[in-house]
Amino acid sequence: MRIVVGMKWVPGTTSVRIDPKTGTLIREGVPSIVNPHDMPAVELALQLKDTYGGEVIALTMSPPPAIRGLEYLIGMGVDRAILVSDRVYAGADTLATSYVLAKAIEKIDKEIGKVDLAIFGQETIDSSTAHIGAQTASWLDWPYIYYAHSVKLIDNNKVLVERVLENAIEDWEVELPAIISTHMKALKPRPVRLINKIRYKVEKPLITWTNNDMKLDPRCTGLKGSPTIVAKTVDVPEVPRKKVVYKPKDGEDAAKWLIKTLMEDEKASKALIKALKEGGAK
Amino acid sequence: MNNLPDLPTKFDVIVIGAGPSGSAAAYLLAKKGFKVLLIERGRGLGDKNLYGGRVYAPPIREVWPELDKEAPIQRWVTKERISMVQGEKVITFEYKAEKKISFVSYLTQLSQWMSKKAEDAGALFVTEVTIDEIVMKDGKAVGVRSGPDFIEADVVIDAEGVNRLLLERLGIVERLKPDNIALGVKEVLKTGASNIESSFNVGPNEGVAWVIMGDVTKGIPGGGFIYTNKDSISMGLVLHLKHSMNFIENGKFDEHVSKLVEEFRFHPYFRPYWKDAIISEYGAHLTIEGATHFMPSKFAYPGLLIVGDAAGLLLSTGYTFRGVDYAVYSGKLAAEAVEYARNNGGFTYENLETYDKNIRRSFMYNELFKHRGAELLMNNPVMMAKYPSILMRVMEKMFEGEYTQETIYNALMQALKEEKVGPFDLISQAFGMVKSL
Ligand SMILES: Cc1cc2nc3c(=O)[nH]c(=O)nc-3n(C[C@H](O)[C@H](O)[C@H](O)COP(=O)(O)OP(=O)(O)OC[C@H]3O[C@@H](n4cnc5c(N)ncnc54)[C@H](O)[C@@H]3O)c2cc1C
Ligand SMILES: Cc1cc2nc3c(=O)[nH]c(=O)nc-3n(C[C@H](O)[C@H](O)[C@H](O)COP(=O)(O)OP(=O)(O)OC[C@H]3O[C@@H](n4cnc5c(N)ncnc54)[C@H](O)[C@@H]3O)c2cc1C
Repeated sequence: MRIVVGMKWVPGTTSVRIDPKTGTLIREGVPSIVNPHDMPAVELALQLKDTYGGEVIALTMSPPPAIRGLEYLIGMGVDRAILVSDRVYAGADTLATSYVLAKAIEKIDKEIGKVDLAIFGQETIDSSTAHIGAQTASWLDWPYIYYAHSVKLIDNNKVLVERVLENAIEDWEVELPAIISTHMKALKPRPVRLINKIRYKVEKPLITWTNNDMKLDPRCTGLKGSPTIVAKTVDVPEVPRKKVVYKPKDGEDAAKWLIKTLMEDEKASKALIKALKEGGAK
Repeated sequence: MNNLPDLPTKFDVIVIGAGPSGSAAAYLLAKKGFKVLLIERGRGLGDKNLYGGRVYAPPIREVWPELDKEAPIQRWVTKERISMVQGEKVITFEYKAEKKISFVSYLTQLSQWMSKKAEDAGALFVTEVTIDEIVMKDGKAVGVRSGPDFIEADVVIDAEGVNRLLLERLGIVERLKPDNIALGVKEVLKTGASNIESSFNVGPNEGVAWVIMGDVTKGIPGGGFIYTNKDSISMGLVLHLKHSMNFIENGKFDEHVSKLVEEFRFHPYFRPYWKDAIISEYGAHLTIEGATHFMPSKFAYPGLLIVGDAAGLLLSTGYTFRGVDYAVYSGKLAAEAVEYARNNGGFTYENLETYDKNIRRSFMYNELFKHRGAELLMNNPVMMAKYPSILMRVMEKMFEGEYTQETIYNALMQALKEEKVGPFDLISQAFGMVKSL
């Protein structure tokens, strides 16, 4: 099996701050990481390789610092990695991103060997659209299935995918080639191995494709290929919490205290009265 | 693609840890044509600026003569200050140095610069991998293990730093004790280069290293520090852990340490230096004290050399460190021993033992023993409190007389009396002090 796995290099959001003036992310000094939700996708790809043999190729469209993320994935056991990077890809929305990724998968298929599966993460921690898997599948006209937990090969060109939804567990037979997005809790990623890291340094199994290699129409990529318009971003300010703890004697006491405290607050009392009226109270 | 036929699984030297000591050893050995594997468990990214400090240059220049030109140096220390604080009263000494001997730097950036040097010289540098074990065979180190992977080497250099889990696992050292640990609490205050240059009265690449004793720690042995980065000031406190615990148990101290740093930051004497600054980073960490009991019994074992902090080669007086330069220098001595062994018949213990001998002959080893007394002194709460107090009273009597002023001699005698220290005690303790220094 030849499996392509998508990786996005994202700012580690636990440490990201928003510039209060411009509303944009302050990236200065923020260390980037492999999007954590891509990890189950990588693990799934590696497990499939362990079981059925073949090759796993990591793919990212990103500026060159993402090489560190690709190195990490190679450390986990991915065989090689492709960085698709060009100025004309900058400023891409999900449509333009998925277009480039789809074209890169086609190029892998043609030049490296037949691609059976492309696996993506559920979503990213910095944009969370969960578009990329579906859109890439649409460009390629491949079947797409999301929230996958496990994948089994049932015959040469068919897999059985188990996916876990909120209210159901479903099994789908999917024809290859296909695109799968993993559920963010599907699998625990394996650690990096010393020997794989040595291999990364010795063999440099990393390819960079610019638009000279990809030969895409720049009107379909980057900012130009992005029809999405960000009309406005709203910075939701942190609500100052009062941090009061009351230890009630019983339920009645608790209710009384709560009503009394809420009524003392101007905003809360209005909301409370409105809610009570709507609920039919006098 | 699954099998890894041509990968090297045997190196001449494996260095564990890409801090200053490991990077120096790896750099020098790679330059001499050794096949070196340098392994670091961190990401090898210098994103944290909290671990900044003052670093002495001369030993490092022996390994990297290009240090002054290329390294990520914030400012050269051209002014040394020492202050004693009691309430709002402050005595400050300033020394304007002539030579550029030490500089302020963010340690992660500096380490990164050094590891890049090692990699550029040809060492195979691997990050994000933790070594689980130094593998011994027949009493000799033969390589390292990480997870399922074993990599072989003629010589293993342990540069794992102060935590020394690997050496502990081998039974070479014991676990850290609170006696040997100090707590550092620190803030980075962004104030801008021109503010720093005008308020400290220094040139564009020049800066100040400032040590503060007395009240700032509420009498807990330790002290305060201030030093100047390019456009920010690092300031904070170091508190000896064992004494802090005693103070808390005796009810002499019941505040959060961050409160102490805050009081220090608001002190009227120091505050103008960071007027209008914003706190860009803050944090706390542990550091090592009293390195002499921290040394392993030998620096060389069969197939294994121990360098840097792991070898206890860290001079710490509570608020100044000489760790980075000692680390680099020990890395250099280790590299020289490995080279000596190669040129003299192989990596036998007899040959590698030259490292142990050279460490014991080095300036570092002497310094560490020489300063042991100072460490004891700094660790003594009575001494730490009494002397500044006496001096403070002397100053008060000499300068704060509204109509009359005391002679120095009378001021001193009165101060001793008020502090209940006999002149003889003072002399004998001072003598003891000098002896231990
Ligand atoms: C109007 C607009 C403008 C934007 N402008 C910019 C900009 O200027 N600069 C910028 O950096 N971002 C920009 N973005 C964000 C960028 O388009 C998205 O982050 C990107 O398309 C991926 O979408 P996502 O993060 O929501 O991924 P999701 O769809 O949530 O991700 C699902 C999975 O797809 C895979 N994946 C996602 N991205 C990649 C990738 N790049 N390479 C490989 N695999 C991937 C991962 O496996 C991931 O788990 C913009 C977005 C919009 C809507
Ligand atoms: C808060 C603080 C402030 C300091 N200030 C100063 C100062 O101002 N001036 C000064 O000269 N010194 C200072 N020092 C001391 C100085 O940082 C150290 O002495 C110096 O870094 C020692 O270098 P080293 O190479 O021995 O160890 P380290 O720099 O600690 O490097 C050890 C490396 O080994 C890695 N490692 C550990 N175990 C493993 C493993 N099992 N597998 C793989 N990798 C591993 C670690 O991640 C680390 O990168 C300070 C120390 C601290 C903590």
